[in-house]
Formats: sequence, C-alpha cells, structure tokens
Amino acid sequence: MLSLPASPQRSAAFALWSLIFLLPTAARAQSSELDSLRSTVKGMEQQLQKALDRIDQLEKEKSSSSTRVGEVEKSVQSLKAAPGSLNPGIGMVLDATAEHRSQGGGNFNFRAAEFGFAASVDPFARTYAFVTGSKDGVEVEEAAAITSSLPWNLTAKGGRFFADFGRFSKIHDHELPFVNRPLSMDRAIGGESQADGVELAYLFPTPFFLRGTVGGYNKIGADNERVDNAKSRSWSRFTYLGRLSTYLDLTDNHSVEVGASTAYTPSLRLNGDPTGGDRMLNGIDVTYRYQPLDSVVYQGVTWGSEFFANSERIPFEDVAKRRQSYGAYSYAEMKLNKNWSTGFLFDYAPSIEKPGLKTIGYSPYVTWNLSEFNRLRFQFTHADDRVRTDNSERGNQFFLQWTTVIGAHTHGFLSR
Amino acid sequence: MKTKVSGCKNWKVLLASLAIVLIQTGLVFAQPVRVIASWPALADITKQIGKELVSVDSLATGVEDPHGVPMKPSFVPKLNRADVLVLIGLDDELSWLPALLEVASNPKILPGQSGYIDCSVGIPVAEPPTRLDRAEGDLHPKGNPHYLLDPVYAKNVAQNIADGLSRNFPQHQAAFEKNLKAYTAELDSWIGRWEKMTAPLKGVKFVEYHQEWVYFANRYGLKRIGAVELKPGIEPTPNHIVDLVQRIKQEKAQLLMYGAQNPRVPQQLSNETGIKVLHLYSSSGGRPETDSYIKWIDYTVRALVQAAS
Repeated sequence: MLSLPASPQRSAAFALWSLIFLLPTAARAQSSELDSLRSTVKGMEQQLQKALDRIDQLEKEKSSSSTRVGEVEKSVQSLKAAPGSLNPGIGMVLDATAEHRSQGGGNFNFRAAEFGFAASVDPFARTYAFVTGSKDGVEVEEAAAITSSLPWNLTAKGGRFFADFGRFSKIHDHELPFVNRPLSMDRAIGGESQADGVELAYLFPTPFFLRGTVGGYNKIGADNERVDNAKSRSWSRFTYLGRLSTYLDLTDNHSVEVGASTAYTPSLRLNGDPTGGDRMLNGIDVTYRYQPLDSVVYQGVTWGSEFFANSERIPFEDVAKRRQSYGAYSYAEMKLNKNWSTGFLFDYAPSIEKPGLKTIGYSPYVTWNLSEFNRLRFQFTHADDRVRTDNSERGNQFFLQWTTVIGAHTHGFLSR
Repeated sequence: MKTKVSGCKNWKVLLASLAIVLIQTGLVFAQPVRVIASWPALADITKQIGKELVSVDSLATGVEDPHGVPMKPSFVPKLNRADVLVLIGLDDELSWLPALLEVASNPKILPGQSGYIDCSVGIPVAEPPTRLDRAEGDLHPKGNPHYLLDPVYAKNVAQNIADGLSRNFPQHQAAFEKNLKAYTAELDSWIGRWEKMTAPLKGVKFVEYHQEWVYFANRYGLKRIGAVELKPGIEPTPNHIVDLVQRIKQEKAQLLMYGAQNPRVPQQLSNETGIKVLHLYSSSGGRPETDSYIKWIDYTVRALVQAAS
C-alpha cells in the first residue's frame, strides 16, 4: 500500500527526491525515443532518396525512349514519303585479274562488273537480277522470280537463273574460293549452270535438311553453245534436272553436305548428227567443313569435291558415237585468321568429245580478305593440258585477282 | 425402339459438344508453341514467358561471334517447323538469317508476318550511324544491335516476346501476361542487385574488340576509350594497334573485353600495357554456368567487377 507524506516538509522532501531520481530516467527515455526517431527518419530519407533516384532514372529512360521513338516514326514517315524507298537493293561487284601464262604471256583481264538487283515483288514472290558487263559484252546472267509463300514446302523459280546442279556450278565466278572455275566443271556443264526455264524445290519435312529440286530448261550451261537457246524445240529436246541434297552436323563444329544431281536431255541433236540421242549428265558433290563455332570468323577447314559423269552421242570424223567421260575436282582450304586463307585445287578434266584427252591442273592459292567486301587472291596453276591444240593453257600460270563489292550484295543460301 | 435411337443421338450430341469444348479450350491436341530464337538469351526469355506452353530452340549456341554465325542447313528444318521466330533485329542477324528464311518455306515467320518477333521494337537504339558508308566499316544502318547487354532493356525484350506470343496465340494471352509480370519482377530484383554491385565500375575505362558494350557502359557508367577493330568488322592494322597501345597507357584503361574473336591482339595489348583482358560472350549459353539470361548478365557483372577492383 502506498503511504502519502503527512507534513508539508515531508512532502517537499519527497518531491525533491522524486525529481532527483525520476528526471534522469525520463531524460534517458526521451533521448532513446529521439534516437530511434532520428534513425527512422534517416532510414526514410535514404529510402526517399532511392525512390527519387529511381524516378529520375525512369524519367530519363522514358524521355530518351519517347524521343527515339519519335525520331524513328519521323524516319519511317520520311521513308514512306520518299519515292525511292521501294527501289530494289542494288550492288556491284568488280572482278579483275592480272595474269601471266608461260605459253601465252601476260594480260590484264577485266573479268566482270556484275550489277545485282533484288527486291520483294509482293507478299508472294521476289525477283532478282544480275547483269554482267565484261570484255565479251553485256549479258543478263540471271533474272528470275522466286515464290516466297507457296504451301507444302514448295518454292518455284522461273526465268533465267543458275540451275540447281552440283555445288559450284550455281556460284558466280567471283564467289568461287579459287580464281578460275575448275575445267572439269566447265567442260561437263559449260561454265556456270545458267539456264532459261523453271524449277520447283521441295523441302522434305524431315528432322534433318533434305531438299529436292526438279527443273526443265532450254539447256544448261552459260558457255554451252552446242545447243541453241533461242530456238523453239520439241519437249524431248529440253533438259530436265533432278537433285537431292542433304546436310548432317557430325558435331557442333564438323559437318558434311552431300548432293546428287542429274541433268537429262531425251533427244540431243548436235550438228553433224541427224539421228541424235539422249544426254545424261550426273554429278555428286561432297563438302566437309570444320567450323569451330567460337572461332569461326578466324579458323576453319573446308574440303569439297565434285564428280561428273557425262554420256552423250558426239559426232566426230563423220561418225556420231556415244562417248562417256568422267571428270572431277577436289579442293581443300584452311582459314588462317579473319583475313587470310590458303588452299589447293586439283582438277581432272577430260574432253567431252575425246574423253581420252584430258587436262590435269594443280592450283595452290592464297586469299587475303582486306574486309568482307575487298579481296585479293594469288593463285599459281600448273596445267598439264592435252586437250587444246594451241597449248595456250599448258604449263605454269600466275593470277592476281582483285574483287570488290559495293552496295547490297548477296547470292543467298545456295551460294554459301 | 424409338427411345433407344433418341438416346443414342443424345450421346452423340453430348460427345460432339464435349469434343468442341475440349478443342476450344485447348485441352485436346494441345501442342506446345514451337519457337525458334536466333540466340540462347532470347530462347531463355521466351521460355520464361511461355513456360510449358512453348518449346524453344535456339539457332546459335552462344559462343559464336555475334555477326559470324555459320549458315548451317540444319537450321532450315527448324525454321520450317517454327510457329514463331524470335530475333534481336536491328540487322544483328543480317549475315545469316535472311538467307536461311528464303529456303525455309515458312511464310509465317517471314519479316512483316505475325510470327516474326523482332525484340528490338521500342529499344532506344544507341549509336545510329551518322554516315552510311562502308568506309566506316561493316555498319549497322539501324544502330548498335547489342542491347541485350543492358538488363533494363531485357524487360522490353520480354514485353515484345509476350506481345508476339499473344498476337499469335491469343488463347494463351493471360498465361503469357502472368508469366511476363513474374519475370519482370525477377528482372527488377536482379537489376537492383546489379546496380549496387556495379558501383565500382563507374568511370572505369575500357577497350572492346567489337563495338558491343555501349549499352552496358551507358547503364553502369563505364567509359569506352577505343576498340581493337579499326572500324566495325575490320581487323586492326599495325598502326591502329600502336595508337591503341598509346591510348590505353595515356587513359589508364583497365579492361579489355573480347568474345569470339581472335585472342592474339588482346593478348598482345595486355602484354604491352598491362590491361586486364576478359573473354566474355555476347549471349547466354557461351559457358555452362551462363545457361540463362540472368545468369549470363550476373556472370558478366561479377567478372567485370572482379577485374576492375
């Protein structure tokens, strides 16, 4: 029970003692509360500052984003308004060589200035063209339309284009890994596989790449002058093509690509052979690639080979006989770094008319890519040529090739 | 007899109705959406948005040079079967993807179609070229495409992917949006952590092999003083290397980052100047421990902070 002080003196003493003992306690309590409040306020200040910083950051982002979006919108509007905005992509390739042949002397060879155009036609097709000027004149090398939205994995192509025969026959000269097109291919196909006609490609719905192509053409071969490209002809005199190609990843870094092609002309009548007969040209191409993914821009090895078997009736010395010839080339190339690569090409090229005669070529070469669009290549070729009577291609040959590209330039997937 | 026929009819009507309801609700024939992404980082973000509703495959593995992915024919069947294609855009994949799309026979994923999901939409693009001329190197006409190195922009990417998936598969829109919200919250949490972790990187001077660090540098305050490449895509000349050695010494640059490029020149620069060389890939998947976007950025941040301190 609490007892109260009985007199004023005792009351005053009690009050004094209370003050003495309670004041510090109260002061201590107040100070502790103040500290706690201070720390809370400090924490709140820090949080507020963080929130303000974040708001600033977000505002900056928003403002830069909206400014940029505004710029992009303006750019899109101006592009839409510009009359040239729907023009096709245009590019030009210049391909020239300095050459020296032990049998024929030197020459500056203006090989080609190739102008390329490509654009979508509409949602259903795109069109491209390559017009080439060279010392032989100006020629439309390719001008073709390709469908882009056919159903059932089909793609149709029509016009003038490089038929889907083999690997390198559908690659333009300046895109080859070596200076000159292998003679074995030149003789079997007639240079690039240029053809006027139609082609239908089918991508098989398999888990691996498997593609088939069928085509029908006036003839195949840019330099194949044995068949007239301009004349009308019966359907038996067209050339029909079939090709299957596949690709397998052996590992992430190693791959193999294999293709088999056949070009069949049911009735080929050359001058001096009134009877005529069929022509069958078969080809097999194999490409092995080592492309280490993490260093593919500066390392890699490619080995590629193509084999050709031709069978046709050839008029020779007043007699037309069926002749069969077998040619091939093989090359290996190593990428030394991003700029430099080196390789070796072996070429075995029999004559189509006289398969017993052949040309065998050995060509080491070095390529210096100053950039993706500027390339120098030096090639030495030793040719043992028994086909040409003038010996112009026999012996040692030296080539320095300079290839440059300006503007938009691509030959697409098949030329990779 | 009459009653029996009527009962049979009722059963048929009931079964047909059930089948329609099941098909409508996606419970029957519910195949996952087939997504092909150009890079593993995009594949991972797509997986976070689509979860079990999508099956995702990436074309590149993550170790490749950003502009040197081999044009493998084995990519063609994958593109052929894809419902949607997710890509970086800004011409990042220009050297290999358009040519593959030409032969993939899949109109759904061609540019401009609904299955073509360009993740660069809405990204504030850095370094738009002021002069379009190849004398400036292998330019990106639309600006620098390496925005994935800024984790804040990964939120735009996730939004673009969610929008693209919803556009193509509106029946799953609610699920995509829910997953987007969760992933964005997770990204925000990591972005906060990386903000703190990168404090020591502010003001750190660096050299890059290829111009791909601008977004990361802008976000975290690093200062770029030069590139090993003479111009984008152009290998250095001896004179350029001499100049770069002087600049590294003058500016006291601390870090040199390279990816799938030849390590010879970075090593030479390190020997001559003492600059620290870091081998960092341009996407997740480059290392086993960076198999997701977040792990990749986290690895990158940690590696840089450790090298700078």
